[in-house]
Amino acid sequence: MSTVATTMPITGAGNAALGGGHVRWIGVACLALAVLAVLGPFAWILTASFKYQIAIYSGEWPFTPTLSNYADVLLGRRSDFTANVVNSLVVASVSTALVLVVGTLAAYSLHRFRWPTWVSAGFLAWTLIFHMIPVMTLIGPWYVAFRELGLYDTRTALVLTHVTINLPMTVWLMRAFFREIPPEIEEAALVDGCRPLQAFRRVTLPLVIPGLIAAGILAFIFSWNEFPVALSLTSRELATVPVAIARFAQQYEIQHGQMAAASIISTIPAVLLMALGQRFIVRGLTLGAVK
Amino acid sequence: MNVNTVFHRALVLLAAALLAGPALGQKAFVDVGKQPPITIVTPSAPWYPAFEKTVDLYEQQTGNKVKLDVTPFVGILEKMRNAVRSGQSPYDLLMINSPNTVEFYEGGFLTPLKQIDPSFDVPKEVFSYGDSGYWNAQKRWRTANGGQLMAYTPLGNVQLLHYRGDVFKQAGIAPPKTWQDVLAACTKLSDPPKMYGFVARGERGNGIRYDWHSVLMAEGGDVARNAEAGDFTVIINSPQAKNALDLYIELMKKCAPPNYGSLGQGDVIQLLSTGKAAMADVVVAATASFDDPAKSTVVGKVDTVPLPAGRNGGHGAAIGNWNTAVPKNLPDAQKKAALAFSRWFLSYEAQRAFAENGGIPNRSDVYTSDLAKQPRFRWFPAYLETQKFAAQDLGYAEGSQIDQILGLHLNQALIGEMSSGKALNTAAREIEELFRKNGRKTGMLPPLPE
Amino acid sequence: MTTQGSRLRGNDAPRMDFLNRTFRHWSLLPAVLLFALLTLYPTINLARMSVSTIEFTQGAEAWTFTPLRNVALLRADALIPPAVRNTLVFVIAAVSIEMVLGLALALLVAGVTRGKGLIRTVMILPILVPPVAIGSMWKLLYNYDFGVFNQALVAVGLPPANWLGSTTLAMWSVVAVDVWHWVPFVFLILFAAVEALPVDVLEAARVDGATPGQVLRRVTLPLLKPAIVVALLFRTILAFKVFDEVYLLTSGGPGTSTELITLHLYKIFFEQNQLGYGALLSLVLIAAILAFLLVGRQATRAVRLA
Repeated sequence: MSTVATTMPITGAGNAALGGGHVRWIGVACLALAVLAVLGPFAWILTASFKYQIAIYSGEWPFTPTLSNYADVLLGRRSDFTANVVNSLVVASVSTALVLVVGTLAAYSLHRFRWPTWVSAGFLAWTLIFHMIPVMTLIGPWYVAFRELGLYDTRTALVLTHVTINLPMTVWLMRAFFREIPPEIEEAALVDGCRPLQAFRRVTLPLVIPGLIAAGILAFIFSWNEFPVALSLTSRELATVPVAIARFAQQYEIQHGQMAAASIISTIPAVLLMALGQRFIVRGLTLGAVK
Repeated sequence: MNVNTVFHRALVLLAAALLAGPALGQKAFVDVGKQPPITIVTPSAPWYPAFEKTVDLYEQQTGNKVKLDVTPFVGILEKMRNAVRSGQSPYDLLMINSPNTVEFYEGGFLTPLKQIDPSFDVPKEVFSYGDSGYWNAQKRWRTANGGQLMAYTPLGNVQLLHYRGDVFKQAGIAPPKTWQDVLAACTKLSDPPKMYGFVARGERGNGIRYDWHSVLMAEGGDVARNAEAGDFTVIINSPQAKNALDLYIELMKKCAPPNYGSLGQGDVIQLLSTGKAAMADVVVAATASFDDPAKSTVVGKVDTVPLPAGRNGGHGAAIGNWNTAVPKNLPDAQKKAALAFSRWFLSYEAQRAFAENGGIPNRSDVYTSDLAKQPRFRWFPAYLETQKFAAQDLGYAEGSQIDQILGLHLNQALIGEMSSGKALNTAAREIEELFRKNGRKTGMLPPLPE
Repeated sequence: MTTQGSRLRGNDAPRMDFLNRTFRHWSLLPAVLLFALLTLYPTINLARMSVSTIEFTQGAEAWTFTPLRNVALLRADALIPPAVRNTLVFVIAAVSIEMVLGLALALLVAGVTRGKGLIRTVMILPILVPPVAIGSMWKLLYNYDFGVFNQALVAVGLPPANWLGSTTLAMWSVVAVDVWHWVPFVFLILFAAVEALPVDVLEAARVDGATPGQVLRRVTLPLLKPAIVVALLFRTILAFKVFDEVYLLTSGGPGTSTELITLHLYKIFFEQNQLGYGALLSLVLIAAILAFLLVGRQATRAVRLA
């Protein structure tokens, strides 16, 4: 046992969960396989972005690379792709930040404080059921409502709708992470004289950093990739990345090269922002943590 | 700097001004006057760049501003519906795909063009595309006969039979004139997997339905007996329709790739572009891509003829055109501006420019002009010929539902889930029920043998 | 210094006190308010639509109360049974595979010493790609004549497979795409949960002599239960709502082999513009999801008791 403890530094609970020895090598092999399976199609998209349409059609390998797809996406007349990326970044970041704050607070409140059942169960059930409604049925009313309010074709409308769409998952997810925390830790803090707000900020929140990261990443991704609402509530200038990419799916055929290039470009800011966001959450919360 | 250089420079500038002057101060094709800016919702399509360039020309010539809200094809219908159903429409001109026109006409969302300006007329050289721009509210039918002008066609798509001129010449076969010719040629030329004799759409839904409809028309079949006159007796399970379906299935089974049951238009274009198809049923909007070396390995080798005739000599080609209309919920000044642009766009010069920019013109005089001599426009004669017999396919409110009913059962017959007779009988029953629920005068033919 | 500090604290104290006393309220209120404002109108609208027929004449909407007519349409709709069947098959197959793979990957990656962040970023790449791009790209991968898979099969001497054109294979091709797309989702949630596991509990178990398998089954999995439940719950709901990929890959074909409720709903609600019946169909979808979840919950309870 001690050999295991010394030869494998405990980084997180994962190692403890897995055990060691030759099982580990099988694990590494499986992981490598999984990474390949994930990256395979992605690598295909990457190569497609450098191919002419005919090379994509004929599955040519090797092929003569071209930058024309990227040029078309970034510099083409029809394309406002850089503006679209900016729109997506703004909408996704703001809606993610908002939904994390609002959702985490709500999840904590429901978990920590005793609310009458009709409040807690009611709210949770309502969010869950709303989550089941197909988005296409919501677009009509939202369009009408936002037009009445003069918010049609604004980033505000998109942010608000994205928060609404992502709130159920955020609340439920954070609630699950809050439940993982042994209640004794919080009790101890309160006994020590911590006020509820401090206990939350200094004790509980740092413990759910992994959850916040997961919820934040998911909210960001769902907002980033959201298509039907963004399509209906924006016009050309404020269109987001998925709308821009859908333009390459035309009536009779798909412009695969440009679509691939646009997809690759769109993952870059998303990945960067998520990496930064992770570090920000971790740093911001561990600063005030009291163990 | 001596006098000579100054003089030289002045001469050059003068020459430049003289040459550039005409271009800069180019006289507008049609004098439409000063108009407020308008917004047109446009689908993202292969012809969009051509449209955009032509619109630029309008802006340069007239000084009037036009904004193009280019939208993904999957979203344009929803955006237009939203636009016309509430408040003031953000779009001054809509582009409605033919299958959806009846919805907008019947819904009363549009202003008839002549109501905006009684002197407005679609030039007679512009193809009528089956009168899809007219609406006779009494008959609930799109016809110029007693119908109001609601829209014109900026882009009229039909399918042409595209074939490999080089392959045919080598094999000594003449371009097919009838569907039986196609069958004969394709069986001869088929050499899977290197070459498929004939490819068309087989995928479930609008794909197979649209491609098959032209064969149905060629064989003399239809969905309703005489919808224009109000007789909605379902005749989709007629012997002619069965002939058309059996023929289509035979073509696909003998000459198309093994995955014919899932071929979409993209797949068909892909097969032809990569040189693996000898004949293909393709929309004319894609013809230009076969001559683009970035998109095709058969540059210059693909020729076109009108879709073939049926066994009784009947021709059929289903039209899939866009229709430009003006929404009702707009101030008058905007409507007039929209119409002004339309007047300009429908002129010969504008259509000619549109063709040169890569679009598909809608005027017969462009097709008979000197442009037809250019190799890149070698499809002009086939297109012109097709306009003689091309027709709208499902011009009624139930069109979309019928498209889906037929699209499912045709596909089921193709992949062998049911016989052609059963497929058509099932479709006929469902369509008849649909008509009956909507209060149409309907009935059915005796069922086909299954 | 002290005066300033106490002055600050003095000014702050009533406000902080107020915030602390009302924490329980203002932590929940924003969510409820926001959600209420944005969901009430659409939900009520949906309910109203489901019992009405909506027609458009003269540029205006005309609503008529026709609940029975909508139900009759539902009963007469021949595409509902295959749609429901296929949806259930799809959900069960896709979600189970994704949960198992996601959990396995989460445990594997958690055991990695270095480069966790990098691997996490790599593993979530599939969900970063917009669904429309995923559908189109996989359609090319599955292409009969030119797709990578068939090229590989032919290269090793096997016949090419009709991935999207065979009624038996099409559904599984679609499931495969969904698995590729959504395993990262499950992985992300479960990985976060594994990272948050209390190390001392696991160490205690191991010190007590438990084998890795026992640690996994008796300690780790029960501790992961809340996260697993959430991942399962949301993955199931999202699987019922899948649309873009299937629409682009097969449009419900060939035949009705990949017809799903959402595809059918799209055709009814959107293409055919039957808003009333479409709204009813969405309610049916929600009911189906609820029924499925309840049955699932009962089943797991029964299994645990047995």
